[in-house]
Amino acid sequence: MTARFPVITGLGIVAAPGCRVDEVWDSIRAGTSGLQPLSLFDSPRYGQVPTGEVRHNLIALGAPTHGSRSDQLGWLAARDALRSAGLDLSGGTERVGVLLGCSVGGSFDSERFLTTLLKQGKMRARPTRFHECVSVVDLIADTFGLYGPSMAIATACSSGALAIATAAEMILAGEADVMLAGGADSLSRMTWAGFHSLLLVDDAGCRPFDRHRAGTSLGEGAGILALETEASARQRGATILARLSGWGLSCDAHHSTAPHPEGAGAIAAMQGALRRAGLTSAAIDYINAHGTGTRDNDLAEAKALKSVFGDRVPPFSSTKGFFGHALAASGALEAVLCVEALRRQEMPPNPGFTVLDPAIGLTPLPLLQSASLAHVMSNSFGFGGNNAVLIFSKPESEAVPRLAHPAPGAITGLGVIGPGATCVRDIEPPLPPGSVTVHSCGALADAALLSSNQRRRLSRLIQMALITARRSHTPDPAQRLAVAIGTGLGFLEDAAAFLENLISKDEREPMPARFPNSVHNAAAAQVAIDLGARAMNSAPTNGEISFESALWQGMCQLATGEADGALVGAVDELNKYPLSIGQRWGFWTDRTGPGEGAMVASLTREETATTPLARVTAVRLGRYRRPFDAVREAEWIASAVNLAAVDVVLSGAGSVPALDAHYHAVVTALGDLTGRALEHQTYKQLCGEFHAASAFGFSVAVERVRQTGRGVLLYTLSLRGAKALCCVQP
Amino acid sequence: MDALANELKAKIVESLKLQDVNPDQIDDNAPLFGAGLDLDSIDALELVVMLEKHYGIVIKDIEEGRPAFQSVRALAEFVRARRPSQ
Repeated sequence: MTARFPVITGLGIVAAPGCRVDEVWDSIRAGTSGLQPLSLFDSPRYGQVPTGEVRHNLIALGAPTHGSRSDQLGWLAARDALRSAGLDLSGGTERVGVLLGCSVGGSFDSERFLTTLLKQGKMRARPTRFHECVSVVDLIADTFGLYGPSMAIATACSSGALAIATAAEMILAGEADVMLAGGADSLSRMTWAGFHSLLLVDDAGCRPFDRHRAGTSLGEGAGILALETEASARQRGATILARLSGWGLSCDAHHSTAPHPEGAGAIAAMQGALRRAGLTSAAIDYINAHGTGTRDNDLAEAKALKSVFGDRVPPFSSTKGFFGHALAASGALEAVLCVEALRRQEMPPNPGFTVLDPAIGLTPLPLLQSASLAHVMSNSFGFGGNNAVLIFSKPESEAVPRLAHPAPGAITGLGVIGPGATCVRDIEPPLPPGSVTVHSCGALADAALLSSNQRRRLSRLIQMALITARRSHTPDPAQRLAVAIGTGLGFLEDAAAFLENLISKDEREPMPARFPNSVHNAAAAQVAIDLGARAMNSAPTNGEISFESALWQGMCQLATGEADGALVGAVDELNKYPLSIGQRWGFWTDRTGPGEGAMVASLTREETATTPLARVTAVRLGRYRRPFDAVREAEWIASAVNLAAVDVVLSGAGSVPALDAHYHAVVTALGDLTGRALEHQTYKQLCGEFHAASAFGFSVAVERVRQTGRGVLLYTLSLRGAKALCCVQP
Repeated sequence: MDALANELKAKIVESLKLQDVNPDQIDDNAPLFGAGLDLDSIDALELVVMLEKHYGIVIKDIEEGRPAFQSVRALAEFVRARRPSQ
């Protein structure tokens, strides 16, 4: 089955050194850094230190005028990747999907809303429409007619590489023939001040691996690969630029921001990627290092390189001096460079390095160098100790297929906080006064389970994730545990507190402890630290199907044998901003009340579970067509699920009116297709409306299966066009 | 008694939101990090913010602050030495 092996047939890049692949490579060949003084916004405290800002006019390059800055960056890279792949997308296709790392999302634009609110007392909420990280994915899918699986992953600095690895798994699993995969992130005041507050920015511009390095330089951009099955590429006569031959994912389970001092997680991810590619370390010809320029990262990464490669560390460089650290886009920009490096047989240099650090004892490439390259490695390490390593190979190199064996996952435990009790919540300043009837989970009765450091440092939603994870799971030190905890809107209490403070005090007295809690993978990372989970760690953010996205990732790790157990779940919290903005836009009604909750399920492979609660027999992601076609949806469901075993469809109906008719029509169409009526049940009347609600729905499905001994289909639609199904059976 | 040390203990408890810790219980010489109060690198950054807010001491490199974070006594000495003259 080498035919399904992922190859790269298209590239798109937008970054500080250039907005086309050849433009970027010309800058690299010339050794021209893309770092320049910040001009995108004023920074009263930190000034105009060197930054990888994209200075091209994005609209002039063709980006849509609506959407956040991250959306526009991602859209441009997607357009160029599709063009260079030469794909014919007329009429749209279910065989192409999009999966991007995005961790800043629309923050840059939402900050304009917050500044106007705090400084002028005016409520101009329009820019917040694109706040969610998945906004860029939805925009790309809608524009280009991609109806395959779509997802965003927000694991901070490793997001782009994790997205590429997950997209490769989707291709191998047959979920799509082509996946646009990569990352997009814009600069924002939030990440700017956040990295500064952690004292992680070098005012002189980053100097990766240099003895005098003093931090990173922030950047922005988007990099997207067209990943395609080899069979599809050959069939349409597309040029194969390179092969994605291996990927390795791991978690340090050590600290929220600092890497493991010996690089333990980085070592595991590099070894995992080599194993997957069927290569020994001696086969790697070049490494694009994570190399942020911070003291801790570069030292830990160097130790990891020496551990994996011994005294034969291949030529390596960090290219952060060209791009700046573009966070979720970073691994994707570097992936584009790796493909180009293979194509051109040239290795990019490491700008900023002049003096060898004796503690590191390794010298990165000072200048661009020609070399015979067959296999190159790209490292990405993120907050929360989240590591993703990719290996790219020449097109003619041998692929080592290692296929997933799709198998049911056994549910061995569930932890649920919710459904919330109905109460009236007042909207607090700086928002205009008001009140909304909400489903609130209230004070956390089980907070006493947590350590005093967890209680004082972690906000309520992260505590909810920790409590539900602990309830779902009995720790077993021998088990390799993966964690995927999705969230739609993320940790809004932390993000809002950090930004309100930042804007109202003009960057004085920052909140360094709040910043790491505000990233979307804060919960997944804290759960990993709490439970010692060192396999894949992910935080998919995908609107109403964030839970199903986490479930897909967890099941995939079990099916590929990369983990023995997986904690999968989703969390979202009530917060005054969505309450107020939702009310203003008429989103909350008597029928649709905002809610919150957390659910984590513990899964293992079926053969290792002795007394499972139930089994997950199918999970699939995609997008629905507009106008909505219920018959097409019913056929999609029937292609994935054994409907004879299912009596009940459990859906998100009964909340947002725009989706109700779709849900009812699909249940009717399923009845027509199977010749027997399926019972339609709903759960949002219990828990309220929030992006992670389908995770609560999943717990309802498991309970129902246990009571009746019959299968339940969980079917979820997002307002922005994504859909998911999940089948739970005895 | 060192008034500055006592003041710093109260500021540490407040800025780090330490639970179940009374400022009087903090030993002047006990380590703040690792053992002792069991603080970590993020707490050190919160202390950097506290030092700037209350004492006007700007730390741009965490290595600069490292000697100050050994104990309350070391922190008090650091503040006395680095505090801008009033």
